[in-house]
Amino acid sequence: MALLEVKNIYKSFGGVKAIQDFSLEANTGEIHGIIGPNGAGKTTIFNVISGVYPADEGSVHLDGQDVTKMEQYKITRLGMGRTFQNIRLFKGLTVLENVLCAFDPQSHYSLLGGLLPLPNRFKEEKRGREICEHHLETVGLQDYLDEKPENLSYGIQRRLEIARALTCNPKVLLLDEPAAGLNPTEVGELTELIQMLSSTMDLAILLIEHRLELVMSISHTIHVQNFGKTIAVGTPAEVQHNPEVIEAYLGKEDE
Amino acid sequence: MAALIQSIVIQILITVIAVAGIYVLTGLTGMFSLGSAAFMAIGSYASGLLVVRLGLPVPVAFVLAIALSVLIGFIVGLPTVRLRRDYISLVTLGFGEAIIALLNSATTLTGGANGFAGIPRVVTLPVAIVSAVVVVALVAWFKTSKYGRQCIAVKGDELAAKAMGVNVPRVKMIAFLVSVAITSFAGCLYAFYITFVDPSTFGWKQSAEWVIMVFFGGANSLTGSIFGALFLGALPEVLRSLLTGLEQYRTIIYAVLVLLIINFKPSGVFGEWEITQLSPKNLAKRRARKAAAKSKKGGAQ
Repeated sequence: MALLEVKNIYKSFGGVKAIQDFSLEANTGEIHGIIGPNGAGKTTIFNVISGVYPADEGSVHLDGQDVTKMEQYKITRLGMGRTFQNIRLFKGLTVLENVLCAFDPQSHYSLLGGLLPLPNRFKEEKRGREICEHHLETVGLQDYLDEKPENLSYGIQRRLEIARALTCNPKVLLLDEPAAGLNPTEVGELTELIQMLSSTMDLAILLIEHRLELVMSISHTIHVQNFGKTIAVGTPAEVQHNPEVIEAYLGKEDE
Repeated sequence: MAALIQSIVIQILITVIAVAGIYVLTGLTGMFSLGSAAFMAIGSYASGLLVVRLGLPVPVAFVLAIALSVLIGFIVGLPTVRLRRDYISLVTLGFGEAIIALLNSATTLTGGANGFAGIPRVVTLPVAIVSAVVVVALVAWFKTSKYGRQCIAVKGDELAAKAMGVNVPRVKMIAFLVSVAITSFAGCLYAFYITFVDPSTFGWKQSAEWVIMVFFGGANSLTGSIFGALFLGALPEVLRSLLTGLEQYRTIIYAVLVLLIINFKPSGVFGEWEITQLSPKNLAKRRARKAAAKSKKGGAQ
């Protein structure tokens, strides 16, 4: 069984069929790109996989476990990390504290330690800081630990979201338009970062992205969505020459 | 005069304790409760009755009263923490007013609207000071713990918090119960200082006043919330005893001050600033960061 198995999922909102019959199998080390015009249902796919809302039909299995109807935070704890298209960092917390929030559910100290300076609390807080600083270093943010995220550039905020997702110990990492709003240099750096994560960590990466040069260059498999339906699946080369894909992106050729 | 000042100080310290509890709920977690004063009522009535009617020692009565409040808080909290944030105010408002009605009608036990007298006075100035310092320290520790951080995360973005593995209803419940325990403790102190309690003291207006104090000082700052409690708690007394001519304008001055802050500094007097930022360790950290930024700039030129 694949690490992540999404089987024939459907999701509608009122009359809008956001996902129709989407399937995907991803294994450690793979990068799957999901592309398609706006409104194609790409983020809805991520929301169903990560448990924001359940699928109407179909199933999602993570590492052999059925997570189709599981609560979101439990799916996260089983090994799912994600970032958001519209950056969703925690206001009022520093860069380091934002990442620590993803560690806190794994931290072992009781409420008594939460109210009093007990030794166990210091031990766990130190362990958390070390892990979080490590992830922040992975994405290159070691110099920004005490900054407020809202004062930092878009590119840095997106990297911070990736560090926060990594702290959830994900087996599957969902990146929702990580390059949106970045300049070309930053896109290049991000491409390298995603490739580095894929090759050094035990992860399957799912990537929604509009920057085709980014998706095409690093994905092993591309899923093309249009109006909630999958219109093509294949390697970047196959997909690029698929007439239906060209039509969805460029419009129909005149006869 | 000294006795009067002492009495005012003790009552303000009790307010500080209650507001520290509201800060955990409203400031840290973003939940608005209009029923918090009812937990103060439960604390004061339960502890008072246990001592006067059953003759229990005061500390035991305090512990039992707080435990009872937490138990009731847990039952009220079960449906509440799963609600959207704006509904929480409604549920707690209804609960709070129900408690007041209950205290009013259970005449044989509580004395009803006439109140319940004869509680011994055990709370002195030192007891009040120590209590306030301990409670504020506990809340300060709570804020910087994983619990406080998760509360701030939940307040900022519930969906993102869930996506990071945070069990949102559980975090809200913990914040709610910590808040209930503290407010209830404030109620115990109140009963054993005033020696007389009546239901009208604990209505939703009291809860709303505490929320105003938190926002006045700064909902994102414990320092600010405590300042709000001290300042707005002392204001009426200062106006009454020192500036006697202004006494009749008390409510107006209070309202104008609150409106000014809401309009011109919506994040409260202190914003996010905490007094712990003045500790030598944090000051050294900031200096080091400034120096690092400077050398980076110099390197770039």
